[in-house]
Order: sequence, then structure tokens, then C-alpha cells
Amino acid sequence: MASLIFLSTFCQRGIRPVLLCHTHLSRGLVAYQKNRDIEAFHLAAGRIHTTSAHCTVSNSRAASKHWTGERVLSIVLLGMAPAAYLCPSPLLDYSLAAALTLHGHWGIGQVLTDYVHGDAKVKLAKAGVLLLSTATFFGLCYFNYHDVGLCKAVTMLWQI
Amino acid sequence: MALLLRTVARQGQCLSRSQFGVLYRHAVPMGTTANEEMNKFWAKNTRLNRPVSPHISIYKWSIPMLMSISHRGTGVALSSGISAFALAALVLPESYPYYLDLIHSMTFGPQFLAFSKFALAFPVAYHTFNGIRHLAWDLGKGFKIPEVYRSGYIVVALTVLTSISLAAM
Repeated sequence: MASLIFLSTFCQRGIRPVLLCHTHLSRGLVAYQKNRDIEAFHLAAGRIHTTSAHCTVSNSRAASKHWTGERVLSIVLLGMAPAAYLCPSPLLDYSLAAALTLHGHWGIGQVLTDYVHGDAKVKLAKAGVLLLSTATFFGLCYFNYHDVGLCKAVTMLWQI
Repeated sequence: MALLLRTVARQGQCLSRSQFGVLYRHAVPMGTTANEEMNKFWAKNTRLNRPVSPHISIYKWSIPMLMSISHRGTGVALSSGISAFALAALVLPESYPYYLDLIHSMTFGPQFLAFSKFALAFPVAYHTFNGIRHLAWDLGKGFKIPEVYRSGYIVVALTVLTSISLAAM
């Protein structure tokens, strides 16, 4: 809807003034102006070392999907809390183990992204967290299988 | 035109360059990714051993700041707790009821037990309620400063109430 309004503004006043108003479009605008002024632009583009447009598009697509996945998982986990209280079951035990571990794994991943810099350090830290999360999930599943299970465990703890 | 291109690119609908070659004609791909730029920044500044300007040591603390770092803090603490529990389940020889009985046999006063339950429930409740606040922000709601403060106070109030109720159970 907003884009339709935008396009109608283009038609009335021409592209340039509108594009000039928006700094976040300035990269495209610079290219637009250059192309109109200098035909050598095409030669210059060949000298620019770039990641292919497709690569950056798929990178940002993956990042966007990750973000959405994080929010979806949060909502699912939110729903599991009352479910675990109202109808505890082995199914919920294992679902809770998976959701909790993944939510924590992605959360710690964000903390790493914020505080750890440099390709080598990031790779090492992420590998460590992956190892921890895998061990955590395995441990929780082991607990669910061989011991009382997560829902029952919380109930029992609270009855002390 | 550029807006259209950006909208299309952002939605990941540009499947191949040849299809949209017409649209790309006026676009200049970036020379480096944001990640590469960030790494270059950190590499250069650590190499030059530049001091970091004081930030958290001088900036006045605000409720939103406190709540944000608490959300992260409770998240990390809870995650560590779960990992510790899982690893303990793998390593410890006895079963869970055994260790619970062990705790039960220790003579802790009822106030200590209630306080322990409160201490366990508090980070869970806080992280959950503030998490809902975050999800509201992700939907684009509640960004005005008075709204931020109001939702923050509600989260703290709910956390305290919930923790007390859970500790009493």
C-alpha cells in the first residue's frame, strides 16, 4: 500500500526529488546519477570486487529467516509453560527439552555476536556453544528417558 | 525505482540475475558485507591498541537500560542453569528423587525454602514477561518512551507478583 503511494508521488514530481529525501536510498541514487552522467560506469563496475547480489540477498534472507524462527520459537515456548503445568506428559517433556535448548542456543548465539569479534574467535565460540547445547539436549533427553522427566521434576522440586 | 528494487531484493524474490538484469542495471553492489566491515573495524582498533571511550561507566543508568541487561543476564543465567542440570543428569550416579530426598532430609527452615523457590522463580518470571514485552516490540508496538516505561513497570510488577505466588505454592 505504502509503495503505491510512493509510486504515485514519483509520477507527480519525478523520481529525483523523492529519492533525494531518503538517505537510505542514497546508494541506489548515487548509482542512478552516475549511470545517467557517465557511461564509463559499466567499466568501473567490472573493477569493483563484490559479493554477487544473489549471495548478499540469500545471506540476508537466511538472517531474516533466523530472526523469524527465533520469535516463532519464543511464542511456542511461551505456550509450553501453561501446557506443562496443566497436562504434563512425556511428549511435553521432550518438546520442552528441545524448545528450551534451542531457545537458549540461539540466545547465547546473539550474546556472542554482540561481544565476540574476529572471524576465528567467533567460529571457536560458536563451536563451543554448539557443543554445550548438544550436550544439554542430550542430557535433558537422558533425564526424560531414564529419570522422572522435566514436568514431574519441577512438580517434585516444588513439593519439598 | 530504487525503492521497488530494494523491496524486491529484500523479500528475496530475485532468483537470478538474468531475470532481473533490467532492474539491476542501475544498482551498485556493495564492495564488502556488513560483517566484513565490522571485522575490519575491530581488527584495526585492537591492532592500534586504541582505548575505548567510557560508556557504561559514565552514562546515567535508566530503567530501560537496566531491564534490557537484566533480560540478557537472566537469559544467560537460566541457560547455564539448564545446561548444568542436563550435565548433572548425565554425570551424577544417583537418580533425581534420591537427590531430592537428600535435600529434603536437610533441615532447612520454611522461610529458606520459600526464599529459594522465590529465587528460582524470579529469573524465569522476569525473562518470560520481559520476553513478551520484546515480542510486542517485534510487532512494532510500544516504542514511545512513556509506553516503554509503562510496559517496563508492568513487567516488574508482574514478575514480583508471580514469583511470590509461585514461592507460596
